[in-house]
Amino acid sequence: MPFASPLALLGLLFVPAVVAMYLLRLRRRESVVPSTLLWQRLVADVEANAPWQRLRRSLLLLLQLLLVLVLVLLAARPFLERPAGLARDLILIVDTSASMGATDVPPDRLAAARDAAKEALKDLPAGGKVSVIEAGRTARIVSSATSDIGRVRQAIDGIRPSVARGDLTDALALAQQLAVQSGDAEVLVATDASLAVAPTTKVTAPVRVLRVGDANGSRNQAIVALAVRTAPSAVTRSVFVSVANLDLEPATRRVEIRGDDHLVETRTIRIDAQQKADVIVDDVPADVGTIEVRLTPDDTDPNARPDLLAADDRAWAIVPPQRERNILLVGPGDPYLETALSYLPNSHLFGLTPDEYPAGAVRTDGTAWDLVIFEGAVPATLPPTPVLAIAPPSSSALGEVGGVLKNPGIGTLGTDEPILRYVDLSTTHIAAAQELTLPPWARTVIPGPKGAPLLYAGTRAGIPTAVLAFEPRESDLPLQVAFPILIANLTGELLGGSAATAAVAPGDPVSLTIPTGASGLHVVRPDGTAVDLVPGVAAGSTVTFTATDQLGVYTATPIVSADTSAGPAGSGAPAASLPAGPRSPSAAALGASPSAAPGTDASGRIAFAVDLFDVGESAIAPGSTQVLEDLGTGQPGAAPSGAPSASGGASATTARPNARDEIWIPIAFGVLLLLCVEWIVYHRDAVQRGWRAIGGRLGRPPRAGNR
Amino acid sequence: MAMTEGGAPAPPPTGGDTGTRPAFLPGDLDPTVFDEAFLRQLERLLLIMRAPARGGLKGGRRSVKRGQSVEFADFRDYTLGDDLRQLDWNVLARLEKLFVKLFVEDEDVTITLLLDTSSSMATGEPDKLQFAKRAAAALGYIGLASEDRIALTALGGRAARRRVALRGSGRVFRLLTELSGIQPADGPTDLLAAARHAAAQLSGRGVVILLSDLLDPAADRVIRELAATRSELVVLHVLSPQELDPPLEGDLRLVDTETGEGVDVTADLATIDAYKERLAVWKQGFADLAARRGATYVDVPTTLPLNDLVFAELRRRRVVA
Repeated sequence: MPFASPLALLGLLFVPAVVAMYLLRLRRRESVVPSTLLWQRLVADVEANAPWQRLRRSLLLLLQLLLVLVLVLLAARPFLERPAGLARDLILIVDTSASMGATDVPPDRLAAARDAAKEALKDLPAGGKVSVIEAGRTARIVSSATSDIGRVRQAIDGIRPSVARGDLTDALALAQQLAVQSGDAEVLVATDASLAVAPTTKVTAPVRVLRVGDANGSRNQAIVALAVRTAPSAVTRSVFVSVANLDLEPATRRVEIRGDDHLVETRTIRIDAQQKADVIVDDVPADVGTIEVRLTPDDTDPNARPDLLAADDRAWAIVPPQRERNILLVGPGDPYLETALSYLPNSHLFGLTPDEYPAGAVRTDGTAWDLVIFEGAVPATLPPTPVLAIAPPSSSALGEVGGVLKNPGIGTLGTDEPILRYVDLSTTHIAAAQELTLPPWARTVIPGPKGAPLLYAGTRAGIPTAVLAFEPRESDLPLQVAFPILIANLTGELLGGSAATAAVAPGDPVSLTIPTGASGLHVVRPDGTAVDLVPGVAAGSTVTFTATDQLGVYTATPIVSADTSAGPAGSGAPAASLPAGPRSPSAAALGASPSAAPGTDASGRIAFAVDLFDVGESAIAPGSTQVLEDLGTGQPGAAPSGAPSASGGASATTARPNARDEIWIPIAFGVLLLLCVEWIVYHRDAVQRGWRAIGGRLGRPPRAGNR
Repeated sequence: MAMTEGGAPAPPPTGGDTGTRPAFLPGDLDPTVFDEAFLRQLERLLLIMRAPARGGLKGGRRSVKRGQSVEFADFRDYTLGDDLRQLDWNVLARLEKLFVKLFVEDEDVTITLLLDTSSSMATGEPDKLQFAKRAAAALGYIGLASEDRIALTALGGRAARRRVALRGSGRVFRLLTELSGIQPADGPTDLLAAARHAAAQLSGRGVVILLSDLLDPAADRVIRELAATRSELVVLHVLSPQELDPPLEGDLRLVDTETGEGVDVTADLATIDAYKERLAVWKQGFADLAARRGATYVDVPTTLPLNDLVFAELRRRRVVA
């Protein structure tokens, strides 16, 4: 039998030491007794049975010698050899994408992948090296070309699931770089093959897939979209939830919508297989800051099957906060219009005549107006803010004016136009309107005669813009209920009322704007851990937050200190300890959107939600391994015996060392057994007494010789 | 005032170390041996003599001699010189023949207490010699109370030293004092030689009570020889708990307290069991031997309370009644 550490056989030198200790131990203690009369007779009897007695006395010595032998054997690490099933350099990729959290194989697919990977290591040839790559949103090497299998196992055990969209492209590219440095490499991918993004990177080594997951494990329903929308009137808010059933059977699920941890509404929906269902909840309370949506099994359905992936059953959204809007009305003054505008909530109305406008194009505090309404006049230079033009007298960037329409009739109105929601124009009459031509950037809201729109809206060079072709006082509209509603819807559209907060994908970096006067941001993650961020450059206005690896709501609070210039250098480096993450210059600039940071409240606190919203990851049905295996070249080694559903060729690569199976486990059990036997022999008197006591309790008569 | 045996006044009772010691006890007496209540109980006992014995002075026991008691025994023909008061006048009147009535005469007997004082008796917890002294004192007091003669002999070395011979319950303190003065013998004891010596000192029939641990190779011959005397033999085999169940464990060299000889033993449960079996066989051998020789063998552990020994164990064996 070969030994991995033959030098340990020197431990056999302990055998004479044990014998010597045993001989030393036989120095007898003297004990004075009244008479040795009976003992002498007893010894005479014992010596009559000498062979057995001698053996009995030396049993302990024999056991101890045997124990030394077995321990030496254990230290010498005996092993058995067999042909290796893997290449000498193994690159092990463990998929940690969100779909690996599916529980179709208990406890989850990632645990099964870890087990499969560790099982596959048994086929590694002697001295083989293993690199372990964790493939989540990006690839990360957790163990690099080590032959210490214990460390590799530790590294595999240390791989934690992520909730991000998985992409094996980076991991395969990394594997390719490692493979080209080796002459005999093989790539093992432990994955569910449920690939949100199909990788295309070619690898110059055989690629084998250890597929985990139940082939029928597609039972998942997911929240794939969530938005909170302020109605065009800017008065009410709506929650929009989209739920996808990625199973092959219809499913009934309950959608819970919670506002700031209080249940707002519950809906039970039935979704057909591979279909989506939308839930819209209007009239969300005005004081709600955070919306959470939970997808739970339908309690009323006894046959409801559990959802296999929990990560996509919850989603969060930040409600856009109410903000004071400053509206500038440029014109001679229309009391109807002013009255309607004054009814708008959270708005301040300012008025200027066209002559005064150039001086007042910018507010006295330097900030821009939120909305400028030009009534009967259009300046030569339009402000870079949302604009509503009413009866523009001449052609401009807002539209071409072709003349004046007398008594224009109102065309057929679109039923799904948000600006016309609750607006009834059936009894409206217009005396005169400008004849306008619809510009390419706009859509017609109120059609007029001969294709000339009476109201159109759209985004002109990124700026929301609307043009009303007639003066309200030139019609009976101001006398109708529809007028204030139309004005509210129109200004809501222009003020960005429908802008929903964009959710951040897990792992994506977030650029956060530091409020004026603050030295940094204190970011609290969903699990309660906190990170302090300071700008990398002095007086920097943004920081990049990268630790968005948890689903939920993150809040950032400005850090206000006496010395705002203090702070370590570095580009957006977090002041507290955080795992290094990717930092992208194209980071979503939440705080840089035109409507300021969505989720920014009056105290400067910034909130944003990280949600999965990825149909590719939520579709958890294990896919085909062929896509991945086709990326490799060459024949993989013999299939590992214990790897689940491993595929690949069976031709063993020659000139590889054999795999070794160390047989220390039975030897260690033997050591334990020997220790137990030795203990029993050493304490046999106590064991016998105990046995007799038990016998006595059970009513057996005591043995002869006892008094 | 209570007087000691020598007539000297007893020391006045002192509070501390004397405790509940009765004021009339001699000063050189171990006060822990007996208390007064125990003495009163002893008075109610009487040593049983299974067969009448011939003694010297008139005592409280039936004698083989016909004498002056009230218990009728037999008739015999009148011969000259017989006391006419013993004639049965009724028979004379009826048959006109002279018959003399014979009565059983009450006599005392000698109870010899043979106390083994070998070194092995001084071992054990409780001490075997101490226990034997107390048992001897109890039996001796019973004898004195029943107006028997008590002879106390210590067996040590190769000789039997007769300590004292007493009669009358008033001499009990002398007996106790003598017992208190007995010390274990130095050096090895030849129990057989000492017993032979003691047997030679016996005069007439009586009761011989041997108190010994019998840890002697010739112990059976001791019983045999003492039983061969005309006296009735009672063997109180005194063994300590350490001898009955030795608290030994491990590899030991056992050293004999008398001879200094050593025996190598690996004491484990099996060895102790074998020892106990050997001990039981050994004691049974003595019991059988005693039964064959008409002697009484009583196996007494030193843990047995003296009350139980006297009032239960010896009563059961018909040694006392």
